[in-house]
Amino acid sequence: MNSILILLGKTILFLSRTFNLGSGSTWPGHVAMETNPKFVRQVIKKNPNLKVVLVAGTNGKTTTSLMLQEILQEGGLKVFRNEAGANLLNGIASSIIANINLTGRLNFDVAIFEVDERNVELALKEIHPNVILFLNIFRDQLDRYGEVNQVLKDWGNALSMVKNSTLLTNGDDPALAHLAKKSGLKTFLFGIDDKFMIKNMTGHDVDFIYCPNCQTKLDYKKNSFSHMGDFTCPKCKFKRENIEQIKLTRYPLFGIYNIYNTNAAALIANKIFDVSAEKINRALKTFKPAFGRQEEINYKGRKILMLLSKNPAGFNQSISTLSDFIHPRGENVPTPRGCNILLILNDRIPDGRDVSWIWDLDFENLPKDSKIFISGDRAHDMALRIKYSQLSDVSGQLFEDLREAIENAVSETKPNETLFILPTYSAMLESRKILTGRSIL
Amino acid sequence: MTKSQKPKAISYKLTIGWLYPDLMSTYGDRGNIIVLQKRAEWRGIKVKVKPIGIETSPYSLVVSDLLFMGGAQDTQQEIVNRDLQDMKGKVLIEQIEKGIPGLYICGAYQFLGKYYRTADKKKLPGLGVFPLSTENPGEKYPRLIGNIVIEPKIEGLTQPLVGFENHGGRTYLDYKNQRLGDVKKGFGNNGKDESEGIVYKNSFGTYLHGPILPKNPQLADLLLTLALEKKYGEKIRLEPLDNSIEKKARETVMKKLI
Repeated sequence: MNSILILLGKTILFLSRTFNLGSGSTWPGHVAMETNPKFVRQVIKKNPNLKVVLVAGTNGKTTTSLMLQEILQEGGLKVFRNEAGANLLNGIASSIIANINLTGRLNFDVAIFEVDERNVELALKEIHPNVILFLNIFRDQLDRYGEVNQVLKDWGNALSMVKNSTLLTNGDDPALAHLAKKSGLKTFLFGIDDKFMIKNMTGHDVDFIYCPNCQTKLDYKKNSFSHMGDFTCPKCKFKRENIEQIKLTRYPLFGIYNIYNTNAAALIANKIFDVSAEKINRALKTFKPAFGRQEEINYKGRKILMLLSKNPAGFNQSISTLSDFIHPRGENVPTPRGCNILLILNDRIPDGRDVSWIWDLDFENLPKDSKIFISGDRAHDMALRIKYSQLSDVSGQLFEDLREAIENAVSETKPNETLFILPTYSAMLESRKILTGRSIL
Repeated sequence: MTKSQKPKAISYKLTIGWLYPDLMSTYGDRGNIIVLQKRAEWRGIKVKVKPIGIETSPYSLVVSDLLFMGGAQDTQQEIVNRDLQDMKGKVLIEQIEKGIPGLYICGAYQFLGKYYRTADKKKLPGLGVFPLSTENPGEKYPRLIGNIVIEPKIEGLTQPLVGFENHGGRTYLDYKNQRLGDVKKGFGNNGKDESEGIVYKNSFGTYLHGPILPKNPQLADLLLTLALEKKYGEKIRLEPLDNSIEKKARETVMKKLI
């Protein structure tokens, strides 16, 4: 039965690629799972030597999965993963179909599956992974994902279904550190070095700053971003444990959030798959980001950097990445200048229909004298947010038409400058299509 | 854009008490505070925003001229409920009864009512200031989620209010004529009786996130006016501000619903 589904799936994949039908990425998996809901479970079972890594988290799934794949390949392992965004069971099934042979064998050492945060329970019912990575947890699209406490609760329940998995999670996040402790699973905690943290009490994008144990407000000695940092509960003494780190020579991407992602990928590669620090560093040296995630695009002679920004924690990280970009740490830039920034706010299903989250963003931290352009389905909401941050007069820089917005932003960017685009998910796909002339999903 | 306008001869001052900013602020509710503050400052009114948290004394409620409390998730709400069991809760009730203006969103709105019956039929008592109660019919029933437009039923508000609602509880008013407005599109209090929110003395309770005030500047200005009139005991007329971006943002939401 499954071999028919595989054959059928492969045919669909072939046809959709040949005729460029788009949305081909989840279709074969959809057909397979509709016909045999146990498809993923059975195929994985038939390949006992395949090690599975499951990656969940609000932000950074795609970047971290891609990084881990490249590091493991540098270590000589054969790896496949599901396509970015295709992170429901259908997407996983599709990636299996694309990589399996007709006898049902997966000639790979490792499969990396990123899963949507709401689907962790569902995924763990089907797959018992060797490694589970929980990257981070933040509020995200409340109309779709529900409240972040509920997501955390679901993850806890999901963990109780697996016994032999190893858990890797973020030791700087009080909620995840607590979750790991309760799970009883073999655990490794990643995090970031204190030197990247600052003494700065948390902003408005925090979700877990009360003790998960006794609900007392946590003390933070230092803080990285959102609710992550060096925390201690003044009452029950629950606190950040020692995190484990692989010595890395350089981080390939901007922003503190990418230090976390890189450290997580490196720790899995080293602790679980025995890849040496030397090989990890070699893989990171040539690492190129996934589409839309700090992806560099050249358009009409201008450099464009695309920073996918789809929820408060992620967006605030993009904002601080801009400052890093303008004033690289340790370098003395004599005349600080502003950035050219295009903000694109959509409210379609993949973006979340509720745009209230933009009021949790700290636009006040944007580099001074930045030139701001605004577009998207909810451009006027964004303009309103900018108006109240009193950054600049934005009325002349709003373009309802996205193409017009991009053209104007590009033409006002000088040849030696960079245009930063901060889009929500569907806006990223849309603007990428305009810039590169083709769509990816 | 109007950044600042000349202050009046008498310079007014307002203290805005922001209840539980780090616990009750799930849906960008801080936007409401930003809007109140800026719209006052643009008219030369001095504003102090006072965060009122677990460790803050009830006295900070007494010195506030305008109160705000946003929505929360269950765990955070529990922490707040505990904190409002004693003095602070009593003072909050007193201030509301005295007519201190305030805006209470979603979880805060529910909590000011008589009780909240959870999905598993547990009855959680509220502060009992607002004559209303809330029932969660259980997980078989969908949450009420989506863009919403209501037609306000109060003096001073001539334009429809727009927002985004996302709540599992269904709220029933003891007296329907205390409603903030009639639902034109969306669900409102309970998805049945076409009412949304409550107006009790100078306090407003509502399910509208969005957040509510940025796109509904009339309501923001009404709250500021009420707070100043209460404090200074005189009739206040705020200078008009340019609301053209607000208008367009509101129209975007209304267009989606028609």
